Amino acid sequence: MIGLIWHYLYSSFLRSWVKWILRKITGKCELQRICANTVQGAVQTMKIEYSLESSRIEVLKASVTVREENVENRVRDIMEIKKVSVQKDPKFKLSLQICLLQISGFKKLFVDVENLRKQPFDSSNKEHEDMLIKLWNVLMPHVHLESRITKQWGDIGFQGDDPKTDFRGMGMLGLYNLVYFGEHYTETARQTLSHSNHPKIGYSYAIVGINLTEMAYSMLKSGLLKPHFYNLVSGVPQLHHFHQFYCYLMHEFDQFWFKVGPSSIMEFNHYREQFHERIKEMLQDPNTVFTLNFNK
Amino acid sequence: MGQCLQLSAAVCRIGVYSCFRAFCCKGPPSPRTEYDVVCVGLTGSGKSSLLTQLCSESTDSIIPTTGFSIKAVPFQNAILNVKELGGADNIRKYWSRYYQGSQGVVFVLDSASSEDDLETARNELHSALQHPQLCTLPILILANHQDKPAARSLQEIKKYFELEPLARGQRWILQPCSVENMDAVKEGFNQFIHLLEEIDQEHIPGRI
Repeated sequence: MIGLIWHYLYSSFLRSWVKWILRKITGKCELQRICANTVQGAVQTMKIEYSLESSRIEVLKASVTVREENVENRVRDIMEIKKVSVQKDPKFKLSLQICLLQISGFKKLFVDVENLRKQPFDSSNKEHEDMLIKLWNVLMPHVHLESRITKQWGDIGFQGDDPKTDFRGMGMLGLYNLVYFGEHYTETARQTLSHSNHPKIGYSYAIVGINLTEMAYSMLKSGLLKPHFYNLVSGVPQLHHFHQFYCYLMHEFDQFWFKVGPSSIMEFNHYREQFHERIKEMLQDPNTVFTLNFNK
Repeated sequence: MGQCLQLSAAVCRIGVYSCFRAFCCKGPPSPRTEYDVVCVGLTGSGKSSLLTQLCSESTDSIIPTTGFSIKAVPFQNAILNVKELGGADNIRKYWSRYYQGSQGVVFVLDSASSEDDLETARNELHSALQHPQLCTLPILILANHQDKPAARSLQEIKKYFELEPLARGQRWILQPCSVENMDAVKEGFNQFIHLLEEIDQEHIPGRI
């Protein structure tokens, strides 16, 4: 409570005085000081982001959502406003440019992911239907799908005869994630599927996949994934970076599930939350970046 | 900063309220009675959506429930600790393991589902009604998805599910509803809570 009151007082009053004093002493504005004292990565980008969001200057504040094509001009504007000399601080321009691309890129990535999520699976859409069939073919290459509505969907972990209803909540995002994993890391995906068919403590591959889509989505929405993306991509993060994080979750969860040894699928929610907490804990370290250590 | 202000305002409100109560010599407000209920139904019937909406949370990103989940759902006179069980084929075989300790049953069905699914729902409802741990308990049946054009009417559902003959001797409520009409859902639950309260009263020794 006292911490909150102190934080409020500091950010409203003291901070501007401290910044003014430091500027006088060092001759550099806060943005310059951050770039000089940190290396390129999440620590730097998150500090720049905070500095820009807390700024009283509208141009700086609005920079966090600047479009990719306008980043260069915006950096030039900021340097003019803050009177930064290119000769005295040659690295600043590039550092700030990368940070802005990452910051606004992260926000745009969420918008793109959300748009995919809001797209419901539509049986009358040929693209959607083709993707569903592609998922079957990549996971079960030697088994013929007898019909579009069939109990066979249960073999890859859907709940009923028609996978359509299982995509509720995550929409096409769930299907895109599943297909990406199957197409780009085929061997690992098939291995994960076979683990999921364990007679006693198996789980539903596709449904767990959709659960992990939800987990990745919620961490993206809350901003918790910033360290990972800011450390991974020194530019604008793309949709496939999100898909790759999903692949990481699928593989790690599979290993986690068999390591904790649940008594049955009924304990899924409990262990999913434990797994979720683990990932969130790792993300408290700003130097975290998740890498895929498995074969394609 | 906005959050900090909100927090400070909340703390002040609680402080003022507590002082007020202390000065007016009132004790702490009486806690609402809690009841443990189990919520079952086929996948896609709307269990998670209804319970989430009753907790005033967003139903935008609800995904299929695997295993079970527990939610404390608040009502005016009571709190229901709802054990919601997933409705997929591979999960239903575990349902009976989670009946113990329940004081009531909530069964959710999709009024607009296919004939096959409706038959499966009927079979599951009958199994639940006849299970030794549930057969004496009050049951709230929510005929959900009433907003869909293919939804069967209350009369059709009552007849198809054979509620009159089957659930004779058991206290049951059939409530038509949809996530678009939460008033109907709350009405059903309020009646259900009355039943739970009545049963609670009956168990108090010394009462006739």
